[in-house]
Amino acid sequence: MFILKFLLRRLFQGAIIVFIVSALIFTLLRVVPGDPVRLMAGGMAPEALIEQIAEEMGLRDPIPVQFTRYMAGVVQGDFGQSFVRPKNGASVGGSSFDDSTRGERAQVLDLIADTAPMTIQLALLSMVFALIIAIPIGVGGGLAPNRWPDRLALYLSSVFVSLPNFWLGIVLALLLSVKLQLLPAIGYKGFAYMILPALVLAIEMAPFIIRTLTVSVAAVMSENFIDIARIRGLSRNRIVFHHGMKNAAVPLLNLLGVQFSMLLGGVLVVEFIFDYPGLGLLTINAVMQRDFPLIQGIAIITAAAFVVINIVVDLAATTIDPRLDY
Amino acid sequence: MINRRRLLTYSAAAGVLAAAPRLNPDFLFSPAMAQTTSPIVFLSAENITGNWDCTAHTTLSQSTIQGFVMGYLARAPMTQENPGELVMELATEINEISATQLEIKLRNDITFHDGKPFTSEDVKATFEYGSQPDRPAQTYPGATDTFDVTTPDDYTVIVDTSKGGYGASLFIFLAAYLPIMSAKDIAEGPGGVLTQRLNGTGPFKFVEQRGNDTVMEAFPDYFKGAPTVSGVTFSFVGDATTRMLSLMGGQADIIERLEPEQVETLQGEADIKLNTSVSVENKYLWFRCSKPPFDNPLVRKAACHAIDRELIMEVMGVAGHASSNFVSPIKFGYIDLDNYPEYDAEECQRLLAEAGYPNGQGLPDLEYITSSGFYPKTKEYGEVITAMLQEQGFPVKLSVMEVAAWNERLYDRPGGGPGHMVDCGWSTGSPEPDLVLRTHFHSSSKRICGIDDAEIDAALDAERNATSLDARQESLQTNLMPLLADKVPALSLFTSVMIHGMRANLDGLFIYPDGLTDASKATMG
Repeated sequence: MFILKFLLRRLFQGAIIVFIVSALIFTLLRVVPGDPVRLMAGGMAPEALIEQIAEEMGLRDPIPVQFTRYMAGVVQGDFGQSFVRPKNGASVGGSSFDDSTRGERAQVLDLIADTAPMTIQLALLSMVFALIIAIPIGVGGGLAPNRWPDRLALYLSSVFVSLPNFWLGIVLALLLSVKLQLLPAIGYKGFAYMILPALVLAIEMAPFIIRTLTVSVAAVMSENFIDIARIRGLSRNRIVFHHGMKNAAVPLLNLLGVQFSMLLGGVLVVEFIFDYPGLGLLTINAVMQRDFPLIQGIAIITAAAFVVINIVVDLAATTIDPRLDY
Repeated sequence: MINRRRLLTYSAAAGVLAAAPRLNPDFLFSPAMAQTTSPIVFLSAENITGNWDCTAHTTLSQSTIQGFVMGYLARAPMTQENPGELVMELATEINEISATQLEIKLRNDITFHDGKPFTSEDVKATFEYGSQPDRPAQTYPGATDTFDVTTPDDYTVIVDTSKGGYGASLFIFLAAYLPIMSAKDIAEGPGGVLTQRLNGTGPFKFVEQRGNDTVMEAFPDYFKGAPTVSGVTFSFVGDATTRMLSLMGGQADIIERLEPEQVETLQGEADIKLNTSVSVENKYLWFRCSKPPFDNPLVRKAACHAIDRELIMEVMGVAGHASSNFVSPIKFGYIDLDNYPEYDAEECQRLLAEAGYPNGQGLPDLEYITSSGFYPKTKEYGEVITAMLQEQGFPVKLSVMEVAAWNERLYDRPGGGPGHMVDCGWSTGSPEPDLVLRTHFHSSSKRICGIDDAEIDAALDAERNATSLDARQESLQTNLMPLLADKVPALSLFTSVMIHGMRANLDGLFIYPDGLTDASKATMG
């Protein structure tokens, strides 16, 4: 019963969040300067044709009318067609007013479905790298409060958080790809192509995980039940990994949920630098081309993913610690 | 009874099952550095249009792709020493047989990539199709009804412009501009197969568009002999640093549009070489001539005299070439114009006063629109120009926009278009100066500046109607170009220098000043 209530309540709240995000994005895109039809039709297209296309596409209707029509499509799984991308998915520009391929524009959902798995792969690998970097440092810091491992964790976190990701990406590409020839730097043709961008994202994420772990492990290790475990004669490893880590995992889990959600929408710079064909690169190109349906689609899907991931994280947290009530 | 743990387990399993078909099968087991070195990997700074009809765009990157795949009647090396030179390709000869008649003799040993033999019918169909007014790349001297194309035999083409009343010599340089398409493809029209793929006679065959990669493979039956390299992969990579790192890391063989700083970096790399050439592109400060205050030639000229182009050249460094005309020095008819406006503060003030704006008083607030990330250094020299104009009393504000916003505001529209001045380049792959001059300064076209001036129209018509190349050159240099320098609907700031970086082991490549790349003899040692 708890599960059903929980899911219904959270899904309803999530739907409201997604709706608000959709309305905001939809409205903002339409009030910013710049007419997407002029970009679609080409700068040399006559005014009359631009107006004709705009009216045919309903882009001159009042925003609430446009939004209602759009959302009616979305709830039926129709996110519309890209304004500029053809079916083959190429990033295109400079289309001209009698471009006959306009009728064969890519479906927004197809474009997202093609690129989202790439970003999910990248996000997962980034999290694995981030955990590999952060767990030893964070746990070490938490087990030795106010001693050198704690200070090391603090200093490393400060260093990592200060590195701009575009700078780090370029430096790592220069070092690992250009100088040492160990890894490819751009595009995607397999696992190796994910390592550099994942490393950059991992270093970006690691400070938050380190700090969370340091604080939560330190807090847990000062609890009474840890002292009791010691009195019971349990080994230090057993105390740390079976009792300490399990209890410290809840804040970490929440953090990872948030970080993963943010990664889905926040890989823009890294994907651009590494020309990684994921959701981030798709978003950047969509923004640069004023591809409204694509921007809206990405925003809605990302918001929905954020909501779902948070529900799953909360559910997982209550499974670890049944005392929690979300 | 379902509990939390089971719900999570089942949800995770369902998620994995749903995602499995979507996951990239290459994940985890593709080797690093999977790209082979046999095809040339070309990284472009500009995306393509996605419509493969060669007449449907004026996009430089797509023209470069066409240069690999398509054949041209002739190619134009466009050197400063000999701007009018043509090297025959599909044609063996192009002769003026009268003032209004041109005879083109064709090679007889050529096939298209789809296996169809190349004949005079393909040239006729291409000329007629490419000259239709609805083609965005329509560049021919007149619409289809102003000339006749006849084909006395399979390998001879006669172009007759007597109906249009202009000289047939105008078609000579255009021969190096429009790729020759198959008459069979053209017959299907703008909605047909022409839009779906390229079908040419060039050294490389179009295979497919794979995401941002245009994949081409060597055409074994190329009439000059099969290329040595197995193909060309042409990819859009938007970030300049990414392109450079890819070249340095060996993932790319050639990259384009290097920034001056990148040139300095790459000059020190043993594995990299650079190719620079004065390009077909001039960069312009376009005035919106159809609205105040730049509807007044005196104000335009005053603005030109406020700008010290030498300072702009300092900003551009190796990426700019000084020139004093409205076309590049590698275009037919180029001369350094004696009356081209130079920096002269006193003359600027005199003109402003004469126009009724002493010291700039009374001028409206002016907006200067430029882009960032498309051309090199636009923001930097835009700031210099803004400061120089402000110094003379022009109340100018610089608006630096990302490419889409700038592009949306670029062209003239009823009422004059946004802003008062716009930065933009213009390049066309032919020595023919009309492709720039008529396109921008004739009242029937006026793409960006929106000028409508009967004197300029008459000068443009006079040079178009000249009955020989010599007469055209005379008309261009003594009439049209000086007149434009006097009325300055735009100020040409400099000629761009095209800079490519490539792997040192990539030999035999010839890069034309418009970016077209002949890789038919290329080798990668």
